[in-house]
Amino acid sequence: MKESLLDIICCPLDKHDLELEVEDREDGEVLEGTLTCTDCGETYPIEDGIPNLLPPDMREEAPA
Amino acid sequence: MGLLEDKGRARLFYKYLSTVYDRINPFVWDERMRAEALDWLDPAAGDRVLDVGCGTGFGTEGLLERTDDVHALDQSVHQMEKAFAKFGTRDRVKFYRGDAERLPFADDTFDAVWSSGSIEYWPHPVAGLREIRRVAKPGATVLVVGPDYPNSRLLQRLADAIMLFYDAEEADRMFEEAGYETYEHHIQQAKPGSPKAITTVATVPDR
Repeated sequence: MKESLLDIICCPLDKHDLELEVEDREDGEVLEGTLTCTDCGETYPIEDGIPNLLPPDMREEAPA
Repeated sequence: MGLLEDKGRARLFYKYLSTVYDRINPFVWDERMRAEALDWLDPAAGDRVLDVGCGTGFGTEGLLERTDDVHALDQSVHQMEKAFAKFGTRDRVKFYRGDAERLPFADDTFDAVWSSGSIEYWPHPVAGLREIRRVAKPGATVLVVGPDYPNSRLLQRLADAIMLFYDAEEADRMFEEAGYETYEHHIQQAKPGSPKAITTVATVPDR
């Protein structure tokens, strides 16, 4: 994902801003990293460049 | 009808189903119907548009013909992999995994919101419609395609058991409850005899 998307994404639970921690970046794209809610502290992974903003109770769904 | 509020089993069912099938599409949705719906949504070039429940990206593909700022969200990465194959993961579409009923976007973010073939899987459709209203800008157009209540006995049984099907009256109730004031419904059908889609075009009211 592009870092500029931080302007529009938020925590799905309480809608507060997210803070980005980058683990892997390539050509301006964040490929791996973690988004942390600045209010509740819930964390959301960025996997292969796709932010996984599913609420934690829906996250366990394994791809078929 | 009273069957809309008790869809807790739908998610469980779908979770099982997705391991077996891609996704049951209770209505037939073709390119002609998509083009007609795009004319109703009518996004301007450069508009920031959200596709809720993009699945394999059929609706997303249509949106890309109109604007180059398309954001697409789905619960299932398995479904989205087909969309990734079409558009790549980086350039043309901004993809997110997320829940339609708890959208991960700030208020007033999108110029238009599209959702086709997704609402029938939401356990609480009114919550999803309310979230769409929140993330869309006041005055924005929202378009939701779902399955019209079917005539076939088999689909009726499926409808009453696990999936959401709704007629125009039920759609009125859902959109009112979700806070929309202006909306219209269109019944779309690929050809005589095929299952009908009900397409609602709504305007996001001022806050």
